[in-house]
Amino acid sequence: MRGVPALRADVLVIGGGATGAGVAWDAALRGFDVVLVERGDLAEGTSGRFHGLLHSGGRYVVKDPVAAEECVVENAILRYVIPDCIEDTGGLFVSTPDDDLAYADRFLEGCRKTQLPAEEISVAEALRREPRLNPGIRRAFIVPDASIDAWKTVWSFARGAAGHGARILTYHRVTDLHRSGDSVTGARVRNELTGEDLEIEARFVLNASGAWAAQILHMAGIEDVGVVPGKGIMIAMNHRLVNTVINRCTMPADGDILVPVRTVSVIGTTDIHSADPDEIPVTQAEVDQMLDDGERLVPGFRDARALRVWAGVRPLFQDARADEVKDTRDVSRTHAVVDHRERDGVDGLLTMSGGKLTTLRLMAQDLVDAMCSQLGEQRPCRTREERPPGNEDGEAYRLGSRLRRRESTLQDEQLICECELIGRNRLEEAMRRRGTTNLDDIRRSLRLGMGPCQGGFCIYRATGILHSVDRLDGAEAAASLRGFLQERWKGVWPILYGDQLRQACLDDWIFQGLLDVGHLPGDAKVPDDDQRARGEQVAGGEAHADPAQVPEGGRQADAAAAEVNL
Amino acid sequence: MSHHDVIVVGTGLAGLTAAVRIAESGARVLVVAKGIGATHLSAGTIDVLGYSPERVERPGDALATLLAERPGHPYAHVGVEGVGAALDWFGARVADGPLAPYAYAGGLEENLLLPTAVGVPRPSALVPVTMAGGDLRDGTPVCVVGFRALKDFHPALLADGLERSGVGVKARAVELDLVPEARADVNSLGFARAFDDPAFRGQVVAQVAARGLGADERVAFPAVLGIADPHGAWAALEHGLGRRVFEVPTLPPSVPGMRLFATLRAALHRAGVDVLLNNVVVGAECEGAHVRALRVRVGLREQRRGADWVVLATGGFASGGLELDSHWVARETALGLPLTGVPAAGEERFRPGYFDAHPIARAGVAVDHELRPLDAGGERVFENVLVAGATLAGAEPWKEGSGDGLSLATGHRAAELVLAASSTTTAAPAAAAGS
Repeated sequence: MRGVPALRADVLVIGGGATGAGVAWDAALRGFDVVLVERGDLAEGTSGRFHGLLHSGGRYVVKDPVAAEECVVENAILRYVIPDCIEDTGGLFVSTPDDDLAYADRFLEGCRKTQLPAEEISVAEALRREPRLNPGIRRAFIVPDASIDAWKTVWSFARGAAGHGARILTYHRVTDLHRSGDSVTGARVRNELTGEDLEIEARFVLNASGAWAAQILHMAGIEDVGVVPGKGIMIAMNHRLVNTVINRCTMPADGDILVPVRTVSVIGTTDIHSADPDEIPVTQAEVDQMLDDGERLVPGFRDARALRVWAGVRPLFQDARADEVKDTRDVSRTHAVVDHRERDGVDGLLTMSGGKLTTLRLMAQDLVDAMCSQLGEQRPCRTREERPPGNEDGEAYRLGSRLRRRESTLQDEQLICECELIGRNRLEEAMRRRGTTNLDDIRRSLRLGMGPCQGGFCIYRATGILHSVDRLDGAEAAASLRGFLQERWKGVWPILYGDQLRQACLDDWIFQGLLDVGHLPGDAKVPDDDQRARGEQVAGGEAHADPAQVPEGGRQADAAAAEVNL
Repeated sequence: MSHHDVIVVGTGLAGLTAAVRIAESGARVLVVAKGIGATHLSAGTIDVLGYSPERVERPGDALATLLAERPGHPYAHVGVEGVGAALDWFGARVADGPLAPYAYAGGLEENLLLPTAVGVPRPSALVPVTMAGGDLRDGTPVCVVGFRALKDFHPALLADGLERSGVGVKARAVELDLVPEARADVNSLGFARAFDDPAFRGQVVAQVAARGLGADERVAFPAVLGIADPHGAWAALEHGLGRRVFEVPTLPPSVPGMRLFATLRAALHRAGVDVLLNNVVVGAECEGAHVRALRVRVGLREQRRGADWVVLATGGFASGGLELDSHWVARETALGLPLTGVPAAGEERFRPGYFDAHPIARAGVAVDHELRPLDAGGERVFENVLVAGATLAGAEPWKEGSGDGLSLATGHRAAELVLAASSTTTAAPAAAAGS
């Protein structure tokens, strides 16, 4: 290993999603020296691809009471520790005309048993609160669901961890796990932007790679743990069709949740087995089904404008020694620490299996507790009390806060993205801080290009600004622009109808007509390695000490995930 | 119910062209439209055929080849000569228009090669004189001037892209801090108004001169050089800088597109033609294969407007002339004309690659050589309705670099057909049939 640079740490966390960020935060708070590696950008995988629901637990009270109880507790804790990531929308469970009314009684009974505070309201009251709801609903229950921004959440915890000395390495892919005898001692990772290898030596490796966990375990010679990727699709609609999370009061099924997320609402989801967590295309049949399901909750759903569709994968584990899994939704939504010492005779390695975004804090606590116990160290968990950066004031996110901030400076600063109200200073600051040249990274940080025009105007502007602040040369700018357009197209073409098709035609007008981007020299792929070379250590160091610099996190809408609990 | 000889539906380039051309002959014309057309989005250039699929140098020749290979292409209903006639007609209207001596240069002989705002050399047949100096077939180096307050134009990106484009033109960028109206955020139209003011132009000249220009350089500006007096602004910059100056189109709102709209709108005004916006055609009253009156929704009311002839130029999916609903059913929105080229339910509409050729791209209304809409069996649906512009099936405007050319040529052709048909009958056919 001569010539390969090396890092040393107490703990190596693999995976920069909600679990990994939570684990890094937890371990760093307990005084461990942490390195987190993520093969892409933070929350680029499952965490960034869910529907944005902070579960009250109501979804599980009948089918999976243990998961429900965890949600009840964790929901309250997250509201306390990361209020800035959460909008307190409240939630409703409603029995539509297609739902079995008997389930509603079982639901109420389940809520009582799991101590979930649910209250029945009259149908008239439900319709008063949510006028667009299907007027044919027969029962309605209020629960403490909320809307949570997964990107902000992951960034908050990652930044918090960095503030306690953790090193957060994005675009670093694990290529090998090192074993010495029966112990895992570290990993070799490759910087995906520079192609350089890096050796990380650690006392302990925590595998928080979710749907990709089996791939990591194979590197440690553990072959018989599999992951059953359960694909779920979500569609973001251009308005808040509802201001409250709406759940169908029925056994968990497809298309039964509608979540208001910032300025949009997200419907989810499906559950389709997929062989490869990186190959999860959206099919037309799924889109049609989701639109029909939306119509059942909110009549006229199909006339609203669909902005974007995406898919995520539930990271559900299949232990070759356990029973075969039939439906990924039937697997318990609770999480479990896979103890590789006990199971495989391998020390220094633990894997987090299953789980959901709502319980990320508990998952992190359980995993770090298990590590402490193996290390024989007593270090109490502090994540119930400590707030990561950006949440110190205890104020919950409110729709319109961004507009309120922007309105006073409207004439003083250029507005680069009109849809998401992103000013030039904020954009340039994010470009500097993240050191990235990838427009998609900036999209996730600021929600750039996430509004109704899907980047039609702001992406040319952002490319010009990236170029002018010397981040990109001409070739990189071209690749970045084309890469963004292709990435965006992936999320829009399956739902192009109605006014959004018209919007897409306007964007064609700009990019193919006025700018003729199709004839820019170079390929349409995302800029490759050396072109994004400056992207490492994105969340490390003092650059994040200033809470005012906290980016707004991504549109969870877009972001959102097939986290386990969809 | 009002009655006109001809109602033109749509205020894009196709509709305006048809309306002006017909009104010039003395016929009573009415223009109704939902709103302003796509001129305000366009580059303001008339691109006849830019790619086929390689970059086209001589559009007239390439057009002849295209028509031989693609008899269903909308240009096939116009022919090369007809396209040439439309360009000539249009050039003359601008030259005689309210913005004169602002004029267009070029024609079917050769495409000019003008840089886009990201530095791609884009082939155009007929362009404003204020852009013609940007022709990249001429190797003169370029100094690109931009304004920090104009977020829709990034001079360094253009210069860098241009140098990489392979045309062998050297380019560099200058960014000025001049801010009209003392605002941080001014769009193209705000700058265009500023450029109408000689004092602002003077400041620009002074600042560019202070930054220094090479003896052999030409100077590129965003296409914001004046809205009321573009020729004056452009000429003043050329004079003041002592260099060739040219405009580069950038993001909407398009100033050159507005000039184009203003020119044709003024011609309609001169001819006494009313243009009614917020008037949405939702159907027609027919007798057999003749439309007698259009049903027009204005606010919550519906009016009937009689006409002998209808020219439908409502645009494609971009402008609302065509619609695709969430059940993947497409329709022509004004008269419910049959569509062709629409992938059936379950078939692929779009390809996964953004720059791929998408199956739905050529969807639209099929017409015969006299621009009458056809049904699936190839029969005329209406005898007195002609279709022009982006509503027509068979073209791929972005891939071909043909959008404005198609709109102009088919709008012009529709007018010629209506005029020819009207002059060969003693009475308009509708009136004859209705008596």
